[in-house]
Amino acid sequence: MGALAALLLGDGRLPVGGHTYSAGLEPAVAAGLTRDRVPALLRARLRTTAVTEAAGAVLALRAAHRTPVAYEPVQRALAARMPAAPQREVSATLGRGVHRLARRLAPDHPAVTALAGLGSRPLRPVAFGALGALGAVMGVTAAELAHAVVHDELQTVAAAALKLLPGDPLDSVAWLLAARPDAESAVELALAVRTPDGLPARAAPLTEQWALDHARRERRLFLA
Amino acid sequence: MTGTDPTGEETRPTLVEAVRDGAGRQVAAELSPGAFLAPRPLFSPPDRVRVALVSTRAGLLAGDTLDLRITVGAGARLELVEPSGLVAYDHRGGASRWRARVEIAEGGELLWSGAPFVIASGARVERLTEVEVAAGGRMLWRDLLVLGRSGERGGAVRALTRARHEGTELLMEDLDLLDPEQRELPGVLGPHRVIGSVTSLGVRPPGAGHPSRMELAGPGAQVRLLDRVTPPVEAGLAAVWESWTATECRPQPPSGSAAVRSISTSCPAKPS
Repeated sequence: MGALAALLLGDGRLPVGGHTYSAGLEPAVAAGLTRDRVPALLRARLRTTAVTEAAGAVLALRAAHRTPVAYEPVQRALAARMPAAPQREVSATLGRGVHRLARRLAPDHPAVTALAGLGSRPLRPVAFGALGALGAVMGVTAAELAHAVVHDELQTVAAAALKLLPGDPLDSVAWLLAARPDAESAVELALAVRTPDGLPARAAPLTEQWALDHARRERRLFLA
Repeated sequence: MTGTDPTGEETRPTLVEAVRDGAGRQVAAELSPGAFLAPRPLFSPPDRVRVALVSTRAGLLAGDTLDLRITVGAGARLELVEPSGLVAYDHRGGASRWRARVEIAEGGELLWSGAPFVIASGARVERLTEVEVAAGGRMLWRDLLVLGRSGERGGAVRALTRARHEGTELLMEDLDLLDPEQRELPGVLGPHRVIGSVTSLGVRPPGAGHPSRMELAGPGAQVRLLDRVTPPVEAGLAAVWESWTATECRPQPPSGSAAVRSISTSCPAKPS
C-alpha cells in the first residue's frame, strides 16, 4: 500500500481543500512578486516554512505510531513557530480537510481519534501525520510523508501561479525540477527531527507580514 | 583581542539581577561586569530597578563571545537601558557569539529596550536569546538588527530566539540571515536589511490595530518591522513601545493553579 498511499498523499486532487491554498503565492503577488521570481519564492519556502511543515508532519507520524497517541507537543511546537495568527488559522482550516479524510477512512483508528482529543484544531502537519499513519489504508514512511508535504508545497504554488500569474503551464514543471536540490535538503532536515523542541523554526519575516496583510484583504482567490 | 583566554576573562558574562526584597523594595541584587558590558545602576523610580548596559569594549570581533544573564525575581521589575548600539565588525573569516539568557520569576517584569545591533559586512555572528518567563511574569523586548553599515550589504547573522512561558514554548525562531543570497529571497527579507521588533512575552498587550502585530499562540504578541533603512523602523518601534508600556496591562486568562490565578489578576510587578 505504501507506494500508492504516498502518491495519493502528494496528489493535488486529494479532496482535502488544497485548492483553497496558494502556499503563500497570492500574498506574495499582492506584494509585487512577478512570474520570473516564482522559482526564488519556491527556494525561500523550501528553506523556511516548508521545512517546519514537513518536520511537523514527521513528528506527528511518529507520535501516531505510539501508544497512547499524543499530538499535543507537536501541535504546540508548530504553534510556537507560527507567530502570525493568520498562519495558524489557515493551517487549522487546511488541517480540517485532512482530518475529515482520515475520519472517513479509519474513524476508530487511535491516530485519528487522538486528533479530536487535541485542545485546539489540528494544524495541517499534525493531521497529515495522522493520515499517513493509517497502516493498511494510507500508511507511509516518514520519508514518503516528508516528500509528499514538500511536493505538495511546490505543486500548490505552481498550480496557483496558473491563476495568479498566467503563463506557459509547462514552465511550472521546470520550476519544480529546478527546485529539487532545495526540496531534497528540506526533506533531509525534516527527517532529522527527533523531538518537538528540536522542530526547525526557520523564520521568513516577510512571509509573516504578507500573511497578516492577506488576512485583511477582502478580495482574494486563496485563503493564503 | 581575539579568541578565548584561559582565565575566562574574554568570555566573562555580564550578570544583572533584580529582586523585590522583604519590604517590597526593588533592589539590584547583582550587577557584575562582563567582558563587553558593564551594568550601571541608574536613578530608579520606586517601582523598578533601572540599569544601563554600558559597553566597555569596542564591538564584536572574530572569536568574541558576549554573554549576558538577566534574572528578575518574583515581583521584581527591571528596566534595561542600552546607551549605545553594538557593531560586529569585519571578522576576516572568523565568527563571534552573542548570547543572552533571561529568567523572569513569577510576577516579575523585564523592560529591555535594545539598541541597534549592526552586523557589518564581513562579520559573522551567532546570536542566541533564551527567555524563561514564569506565571504572571512579563518581558517587553525591543530588538533591532541592522545588516551592514550604510551602503553595505551586511554581514552574516543567525539569530535564534527561544522563549518559554511557564515551561511551554511561546516563541521559537531561527532567523537565519547568514547567506545574503538566501536572505534576500522573496518572503524572507527581500530588499530589506533592517529587522526590528517589539515583543511582549507573558502578556498580550491590549489594543490591536497595528498592521504588523502578530498575536502569538500563547500569551504574547510581536510587532516586527522591516525596511531598507533604520529611521522608520526605529520610529515605528518607539511608537509600539510607547503604547505597550503606557497602557495598563490586563490580566491573562487563568492558565493553571490557584496560585497562578492570583498572580495573573494583577499587572505584573506593579505595586497597586
